[in-house]
Amino acid sequence: MTLDMTTVPETTTVLPPLSAAARRRRISGVVRRDLASLRRSPIRIFEIVFWPTIELVVWGFVTVYLQASKVPFVVSMLLGAVLLWQILHRASNEVAIGFLEDIWSRNLLNMHVTPLTTTEYLSGLIVFSLTKVVFSVAMMGTMAYLLYGFGILTIGVALVPFMGLLLVLGWSLAIVAISCVLRFGEGAQVIAWSLVFVFQPIAGVFYPVSVLPSGLQVVASFVPATHVFQGMRDVLGGAAIPWDRMAAAAALDVVYVALALALYTVTLRHARAKGRLSRFGE
Amino acid sequence: MAILEACLLAKRFGPVTAVEEVSLTVAEGEIAGLLGPNGAGKSTTLHMLLGLVTPDSGSVRLFGLDLDRHRTEVLSQVNFSAGYLGLPGVLQVREVLDAFARLYGLRHPARRVAEVVGLLDIGSLLKRKVIDLSSGQQTRVHLAKALLNEPRLLVLDEPTAALDPDTGDRVRRLLVDLARESGRAMLITSHNMREVERMCDRIHFMSAGRIVASGTAAELAADFEVADLEEVFLKVARQ
Ligand SMILES: Nc1ncnc2c1ncn2[C@@H]1O[C@H](COP(=O)(O)OP(=O)(O)O)[C@@H](O)[C@H]1O
Ligand SMILES: [Mg+2]
Repeated sequence: MTLDMTTVPETTTVLPPLSAAARRRRISGVVRRDLASLRRSPIRIFEIVFWPTIELVVWGFVTVYLQASKVPFVVSMLLGAVLLWQILHRASNEVAIGFLEDIWSRNLLNMHVTPLTTTEYLSGLIVFSLTKVVFSVAMMGTMAYLLYGFGILTIGVALVPFMGLLLVLGWSLAIVAISCVLRFGEGAQVIAWSLVFVFQPIAGVFYPVSVLPSGLQVVASFVPATHVFQGMRDVLGGAAIPWDRMAAAAALDVVYVALALALYTVTLRHARAKGRLSRFGE
Repeated sequence: MAILEACLLAKRFGPVTAVEEVSLTVAEGEIAGLLGPNGAGKSTTLHMLLGLVTPDSGSVRLFGLDLDRHRTEVLSQVNFSAGYLGLPGVLQVREVLDAFARLYGLRHPARRVAEVVGLLDIGSLLKRKVIDLSSGQQTRVHLAKALLNEPRLLVLDEPTAALDPDTGDRVRRLLVDLARESGRAMLITSHNMREVERMCDRIHFMSAGRIVASGTAAELAADFEVADLEEVFLKVARQ
């Protein structure tokens, strides 16, 4: 194997392809491409402002109404849920959109003939999605505070594991969505936008899973987000951070990511076998 | 040393046999042409050489390395451009080139972008969005992208179709010069027989998924007892 390697001489143009520097450089290519694309399409900036605003306003007024009609309810739980849900939603959509842009612009083959590995490609999409998630959440957090006096920071240090666990889940859902588009074609784009919503009723985003039928409760216990949203309610209700729940969610996240990556790998292999990569955009 | 060695490649898509028993070598500094009628299997062959399509059987070695097992190393030194590809349209030309310079892991992205911009004379397009360019201008941007990593093998699928005769001529000269000066190898498909005649050291004719004849333009014309490549093409296509 080492003998083999000597036949590719080092060039001054390209960093040694397997070096960490080359990998970082290639990932930066994905990130900068997506950032440039965001900067050049104001419509997309509009979108990341629009949806979070709408959701926050709607749910904010729901809480105002509930309070006014003296329904005993912890307002912060609903607004906290809206904010955390946005993290999951955006993490999933923004990663998927980076991939879809390659399909829309018939750039997919160009990407697949670069030395970029699957891990590097997905890492690039993820780093890029982080910038938008941070932006969205900061904006919503500020609005929630200004409009309803809800400070997301009242969740305290638990906010960090909550957000991290939801981000990872969102990314794994995005990888599943990307795989579906790769497998079933552009028609499957709708999956990219809607997959995350399957988890909204099950994960008990706005209510405890104890209200679900017992069968669904079992399903819910296998969704990382369930533990995060329950954990958030616990913390806002004054309890300590439920570390056992966080550990369960983290373990589930690992399983979800591993399954999503395996699915993507299999789908890519299938796409290459069937010659599908060149069929997009035709 | 052979830059590219493809051995007995075959590919079926359902009932369609796209490529059957294609073997091909390209040497350092060689410009090879792949000709043949529509549907002959040229693009499928190129895609197998680039790892975009997995062959049903056969093997691809680039620079002596197995493509499957050394994908990242191999693709660092290969590039590809095709008439049917797009680039992220909303991006400005310089943003596209910057992104690809990084995607190829270049040591000095900005410096190399400036070089290819000079080579293809697209300095005046840098601040324009790709979608706003004419197809000939876009082709030049595609070629600039394809030269970014100074590829040891450049694969071009009908690259010059959208160029006006003047630009086409200049691009052809540039490619030939690059091959002569740097020992870069190229594999090109084209329906422009004069272009192939002028550029290619060796020409492979494909028909119905097979390579049916190989040689220089002159050798092929002699073999088929015709005057030029165009007539060879017609003979092969109508066999
Ligand atoms: N991804 C694919 N799926 C199904 N059929 C394909 C695919 N790619 C090519 N083909 C078929 O394989 C044959 C060869 O196509 P192609 O390699 O594109 O030919 P050429 O580039 O010489 O015009 C054609 O019949 C084409 O329809
Ligand atoms: Mg073709």
